[in-house]
Amino acid sequence: MKKGILIAFSIFTVLCFVGPGYSADVKKGIHVGDAGAFTGDAAAPCMEIFNSAQVAVDEWNAKGGIQGVKIEHIMGDDAMDPAQGMNVAHKFVADELMYGVIGPPMSHVAQATLKIYGDANLATITTAASKPELTEQGYKHFFRVNARNDAHGWNCALFMQKQLKVKRVAVLNEKVAYCENMATQTIAGLKKLGITDILQETIVGGAKDYSAVLTKVKAFKPDVLFFIATTAPDQAIGVRQTKELGIDAIFFGTEGARDKKDFIQASEGAAEGAYVYHFGPDIYAIPAAAGYVKEYESKYGVLSGFGPPAYEAMNILLTAIDQAAKDGDISRKEVVENLHKIKNYEGILGFPVTFDQKGDLLGSATYFFKVVGNDFQQITVMTGK
Amino acid sequence: MDIYLQQLPQQLVNGLTLGGVYALIAIGYTMVYGILGMLNFAHGEIYMIGGFTGWWVLYLLTKSNEVIMHAALVISLMIIAAMAVSALVGMLAERVAYRPLRNAPRINLLLSALGVSIFLQNLVLNYQGAKVRSFHISSLIPESLRVIQIGPAVFSFMRALVIVITFLLMGLLALMIKKTKVGKAMRATAQDIEAAAFMGVDVDRIVVLVFLIGSALGGAAGTLVGLLFTQVDYYVGFQAGLKGFTAAVLGGIGNIYGAMLGGILLGLAESLAVTFLPSAYKDVVAFVILITVLIVRPWGLMGEKIPEKV
Repeated sequence: MKKGILIAFSIFTVLCFVGPGYSADVKKGIHVGDAGAFTGDAAAPCMEIFNSAQVAVDEWNAKGGIQGVKIEHIMGDDAMDPAQGMNVAHKFVADELMYGVIGPPMSHVAQATLKIYGDANLATITTAASKPELTEQGYKHFFRVNARNDAHGWNCALFMQKQLKVKRVAVLNEKVAYCENMATQTIAGLKKLGITDILQETIVGGAKDYSAVLTKVKAFKPDVLFFIATTAPDQAIGVRQTKELGIDAIFFGTEGARDKKDFIQASEGAAEGAYVYHFGPDIYAIPAAAGYVKEYESKYGVLSGFGPPAYEAMNILLTAIDQAAKDGDISRKEVVENLHKIKNYEGILGFPVTFDQKGDLLGSATYFFKVVGNDFQQITVMTGK
Repeated sequence: MDIYLQQLPQQLVNGLTLGGVYALIAIGYTMVYGILGMLNFAHGEIYMIGGFTGWWVLYLLTKSNEVIMHAALVISLMIIAAMAVSALVGMLAERVAYRPLRNAPRINLLLSALGVSIFLQNLVLNYQGAKVRSFHISSLIPESLRVIQIGPAVFSFMRALVIVITFLLMGLLALMIKKTKVGKAMRATAQDIEAAAFMGVDVDRIVVLVFLIGSALGGAAGTLVGLLFTQVDYYVGFQAGLKGFTAAVLGGIGNIYGAMLGGILLGLAESLAVTFLPSAYKDVVAFVILITVLIVRPWGLMGEKIPEKV
């Protein structure tokens, strides 16, 4: 009889700790993941994302973590490959203490892993994946702090019309999801603005020689060459061969090109005067970001544009986890719900962050830069008008 | 129509450079096939290693964005070092992975070559990382020579250099095979390896020599492409190997002149295809040509129709 009471009592005690559903005691530990291409052609921007998120985690831990528990930040390398991205997603989902993930930054990897994270209700905040369809599939766990391609495409079209005063545009895009989509959105925007002299051609990323297709561009005599490729090394070859062939057009590159070492320095002067767009603003011009910039640069070196959104995303994620952990236990569902409640979060990006129903950023901006000497100079910002 | 015609001279230049590089790679495939009847799948990796060697030589000879000796000397050193290292790797692969299997079924050799390819690629990935290396070539060419305008076509200095060096190397090889005693021994071994051995040809030495020459040319191609397109990474060997192999088959595998012709034709076909069709069809056109040639002449453009030995 006594034994029976003891057993019943132990079961009751255990149940008290476990709680209903997936929720667990905060004291067991808090893990946050970071999925991205930490090796390969995009390693540099992705490491910047990871390190920036690490700065945020370190700051939280220095303040005592969440409910006195130190946060552990775990890296998952997908090498830009959707199959490896799915392995990372399965690993993160299987980790019971994982309450949120930063990434994946590549649209095609984000697409491949959407269902895995979604089924597990594990919140992901991407800092760069911009393919519109990612937030159109009914998933509640997916958020982004960067604008979508349809916003970027329209903003880029506006920029070309208003700032560059173009009449003829050549669009070259790499054959991957993000680039194809960006090309489609931009061309749609240009046509809406009445610019219809457009040549569209494709390239294969990593092929190293684009001179044949660029020769075709030369014969088209465009005012602007919009070069849509994922990585900075490919953009560097693009701008170098454009100059070499004597193409008399403004070179306009995409966000991947905002990289001093792999774009400006690698092209050895050919990039001078080129334009690039980026989803992040010039972080040095925002007073609220000064602390983060100082901390990052003292530890990891010079920033490009990929770090700040990751710092912001990690802070937003940890805020949501912190709120979920207030009552001593925490579940992934709570974290997702709290993220939807984030309103006008004032961080370091220079604009307040609010997510809409789909997880997209309200009020999307695109920033434009010009290569001057060995640096990028912010020219303007477009917000769809 | 005019818009196509004005592109033609430039596309010929583009195609000729690309084709020259394909030809150099194809020679390595075709020489080994001609003698051993095997496809050396690791040849693309040998090319990649040549590219990395050239990058390192340039990197070590550059101090604060200026090369520390005469540019011509630097370029020569890059090419020579790349040829030497690639030749060494090719010979090592032959000694370790192919020679023990020489009398085994052909499929074993093929698998062994695939293994060598994967091994070399991952070795470089491990020790050099996955990041793209950029060749800083601006200090190698004086500003005034960087771009040369000839009629409607633009030659960059590097393009001209690559074409000259490629054809020089191919010419030297052709001369060696035709005129020297070693060349004769190579031709004899290719014709009949057993009979050549009976006649006193040291067949093992010839095989090593074939790997040495083929790999050295592959290495030279790696560095030349590095100078031309200014980048190398651990994965470039795959694409280049595929194109080189295609060129070798197109020209008639086993025939060195065929490899040269096949490479140049393939390069030209790719460039010209882009002129008339959307660029996505570039590879489609190249391979349609290959398939058509193989249907009409299964032994390739310059290959010989060999009767089945009974």
